[in-house]
Amino acid sequence: MKLELGYIYIKDIQFAEKSKVENGTLYVNKEEIKALVMEDQNFKSVEVELAKPGDSTRIMPVKDVIEPRVKVEGPGGIFPGMVSKVQTVGSGKTHVLKGAAVITTGKIVGFQEGIIDMTGTGAEYTPFSKLNNLVLVCQPVEGLKQHEHEKALRFAGYKIAIHLGELARTLVPDESEVFETPTVKEGFKLYPELPRVAYVLMLQSQGLMHDTYVYGVDAKQSLTTMLYPTEIMDGAIVSGNCVSACDKNTTYHHINNPVIHDLFSEHGKTLNFVGVIITNENVYLADKERSSDWSAKLAEFLGLDGVIISQEGFGNPDTDLIMNCKKIEAKGIKTVIITDEYAGRDGSSQSLADADVSANAVVTGGNANEVINLPALEKVIGYTSVADIIAGGFSGSLHEDGSITAELQVITGATNEMGFNKLSAR
Amino acid sequence: MVKEIERAGIPVVHMCTVVPISLTVGANRIVPTIAIPHPLGNPALTMEEEKDIRRNLVARALRALETEVTEQTVFEK
Repeated sequence: MKLELGYIYIKDIQFAEKSKVENGTLYVNKEEIKALVMEDQNFKSVEVELAKPGDSTRIMPVKDVIEPRVKVEGPGGIFPGMVSKVQTVGSGKTHVLKGAAVITTGKIVGFQEGIIDMTGTGAEYTPFSKLNNLVLVCQPVEGLKQHEHEKALRFAGYKIAIHLGELARTLVPDESEVFETPTVKEGFKLYPELPRVAYVLMLQSQGLMHDTYVYGVDAKQSLTTMLYPTEIMDGAIVSGNCVSACDKNTTYHHINNPVIHDLFSEHGKTLNFVGVIITNENVYLADKERSSDWSAKLAEFLGLDGVIISQEGFGNPDTDLIMNCKKIEAKGIKTVIITDEYAGRDGSSQSLADADVSANAVVTGGNANEVINLPALEKVIGYTSVADIIAGGFSGSLHEDGSITAELQVITGATNEMGFNKLSAR
Repeated sequence: MVKEIERAGIPVVHMCTVVPISLTVGANRIVPTIAIPHPLGNPALTMEEEKDIRRNLVARALRALETEVTEQTVFEK
């Protein structure tokens, strides 16, 4: 399967009469966006705001971040099974508004959404401070249940991202990149000497709005299965998560998965990137056992030599992570796991809830309990009042002057377990 | 908590869903429960059925508490 991504670089975002992309600027008609969001009767009102790199702006509580893309050649459309009809994506050509994003906000659960700061200390911890963001602040109608609010907001985000992506349909990309995955048979012939490596992508699926969707299927109701890596670039996997902000994978993380991009860059050189095994993180022990059994079985079936495993979230998913690692290693296949840590504010506590000797190659996204101070910023998009109850915040987190003292876990994407971030201790 | 209470000389039964974590942290008597968000119940069942589940699990836990163990033991029945 072969996909070409055409990047149109976005360096600025502005409101204008007509929505368009011109000379690296994304122009957006605000009223048009509002009207599209308000098509959903679950919303009482919507505000549309801009947040650019360096702005003295705080966005909270953030639900999802989505990159605008459009399919210009090949079958299917972006976010298949969710917005576009169900059809296998991942081949042909897709245009990307690189440098732009749609951010959805709302008080759904309150304590399980995150913060994005566009400047200052907080901005260093989140990749989304570098983007030109269109922020949707949607007010639900009275009495809308939390799960209905989550779903409405999730779809509002996709709809607007697809709408903006359409602006790139006829543009000539500034740069293009091609990603190709051979069939298993071809891969053996092409690279007989190279180690066969796959990626085990763990998806948050604990239920109660800790959910991820694959081609529209709720991941907690799915068995472990396989995807071509390029399917994910076309939005086959989307986030429906209201969970601790620092290590949840937003939809932006999924379509830009850095493990996939890095494996592709080594494909045919140092390794043969065979494909992606997706597995879930359910709340029943039998599900955890079954799903990790299947990860190991598929890894063996594909004749792999090595596997990279990335986790999403923390706590009981640490057990899914260790089960995947242990069972795949038991098949004689080497593993590297990517996780993050909840090692206490002084960093001296046990980092993961579970452990095993076979987890001997570990990459960490950082300690989510680290306490940080976020300065007061001039503008707040959304609602500051949730700072005291957000996961990682505590009573007194929000100070009178608008500054915040909280654990790193409040920042969207701060300890991402796909290794999305650039910040390191070195 | 399980380990600290046992250190004080009081035997403990850990009722939990993710048995592997309980084994990793070193609980000695473990009773597996239903699911992480509802360890002692099941919202898919009626109140009466849930009460049965709870009674059986507590009875099993009490039995585990009375049982001498020489190694980490999971009480499946």
